[in-house]
Amino acid sequence: MAGFVQQVIEGLGTGAIYAGLALALVLIYRFTGIVNFAQGELAMFSTFIAWQFVHAGVPFWAALALTLAISFAGGMLIERVLIRPVEGAPELTLVIVTLGLFLLVNAAAGWIWSFLIKDFPSPFPGGALRAGGVALGYSTLGVLGVVAAVMGLLYLLFRYTRIGLAMRAVASNPESARLSGIGVSRMLALGWGLAALVGAVSGVLVAPVLFLEPNMMGGVLIYAFAAATLGGFDSPVGAVAGGLIVGVAETLAGAYVHAIGSDLKVGVPLAVIIIVLLFRPQGLFGHAAVERA
Amino acid sequence: MTGRDDGTFLNVARLHAGYRAGRVLHGVDLGVAEGEICAILGPNGAGKTTLLRALCGMIRTEGVLRLAGADLPRRRPEAVARLGVAHVPEGRGTFAPLTVEENLRLGAYTRRGRTRIAADIDRVYGYFPVLKERRAQAAGSLSGGEQQMVAIGRALMSRPRLILLDEPSLGLAPLVTRELFHIVKTVNEEERTTVILVEQNAHLTLEFAHRAHVLETGRIVLSGSAQEIRDDEQTARAYLGIGVG
Repeated sequence: MAGFVQQVIEGLGTGAIYAGLALALVLIYRFTGIVNFAQGELAMFSTFIAWQFVHAGVPFWAALALTLAISFAGGMLIERVLIRPVEGAPELTLVIVTLGLFLLVNAAAGWIWSFLIKDFPSPFPGGALRAGGVALGYSTLGVLGVVAAVMGLLYLLFRYTRIGLAMRAVASNPESARLSGIGVSRMLALGWGLAALVGAVSGVLVAPVLFLEPNMMGGVLIYAFAAATLGGFDSPVGAVAGGLIVGVAETLAGAYVHAIGSDLKVGVPLAVIIIVLLFRPQGLFGHAAVERA
Repeated sequence: MTGRDDGTFLNVARLHAGYRAGRVLHGVDLGVAEGEICAILGPNGAGKTTLLRALCGMIRTEGVLRLAGADLPRRRPEAVARLGVAHVPEGRGTFAPLTVEENLRLGAYTRRGRTRIAADIDRVYGYFPVLKERRAQAAGSLSGGEQQMVAIGRALMSRPRLILLDEPSLGLAPLVTRELFHIVKTVNEEERTTVILVEQNAHLTLEFAHRAHVLETGRIVLSGSAQEIRDDEQTARAYLGIGVG
């Protein structure tokens, strides 16, 4: 039993990381209808920026704050420069643009920092809380806490602030938002900035676990897609719940289903995507568009 | 600056506008006085909706378009909204997943001052008591008439000088439409808000409007007081399809 609980805890820890990136995906999708394939690479690039600061002797939390600010500005800049010109273009065009961004950011990171793996410091102390044969690592606890905090802050932003309300209005009906005097393009840029910031948090959380290198987010992105699909692509709460479920499912399948083991467990998120799309395409927490005429 | 210097609040002259597929308005001339309810009538496809879209900056225009002395062309919709123009588009433009109260709050987006906005929300609930009961409900779950109330309420929240109503009767039962028009009239009388009312339902509209203009294939073909237009049997037959009587 203790072993099982231990696996669930591990699963929640990795799941929280998927949840972070899934949250970033969902943010952009809600505002712009774009599935941003480059989200993981942007997070990776942000993590390299954090690494650069730490490497230069900046204390970790200060480095993180700087990185988040730069990521936010960078996300807004990308929206202005790359996304604005193709706003309203067919879906395929948008997919190709974000794929192009994926390659661009990946290559840029390799060019600047090389493809050699780097150690990234963990912001959390080693060691663990122990009770009844179960160890709850401080780092796992830290990751869960950070993702919970990010979600909480986003909730407060969207629910209680004027700007959050305006952003939800833009997501729901851009034309009416414009007629209400809301600067829609500013809100879209803000959405990209916010997503880049949330993605950067997930990158910084994942780097100590995986090592830092330009391809580190590839796998995480697939899990994040599974998480967002499972939770519902338009639901931030769903993204987080989806991330945790996928993380736990993956860990348990790897540990207990002999045929899967640690090699095949990457198949779990893909199975999740397919099953969800078959039986509940809008996801667990998503909304099928229902509206009275 | 008020619009009185040139005599009209809203001054439209030689207005051309349209879409990529073709021009819809071919030189519209129109004057609207401050505080009046101005009806724009006409058949489907005459350009009524396009005229409203031109007024609020949603499409490119050529010609004169002045509101209280300010030039409107080349302003973006959000900038026109800040000048005090509230557009209630056809199909209401509700923020469906947001609550009724959030919809109203968004109407006041361009304004500052918490207490005055809260007071205005109460004022809207005064006009539409049913919205108060439904304040925490998603706007998209309301009936068509209630959603139209949300849309008009949202427009009022911006404390507009000019409200553009595009076919508010669409899809509503005649009784509900009449009730809505009554409230619009009350708002117009109590707050001196100018209203441009685009409608196909000429008969009912002429009961509430002060002046009316008939738009046909992109031109104003007839203007007059609502009374004159209603009394002119021939025009009624020719343009408005009102069964006279």
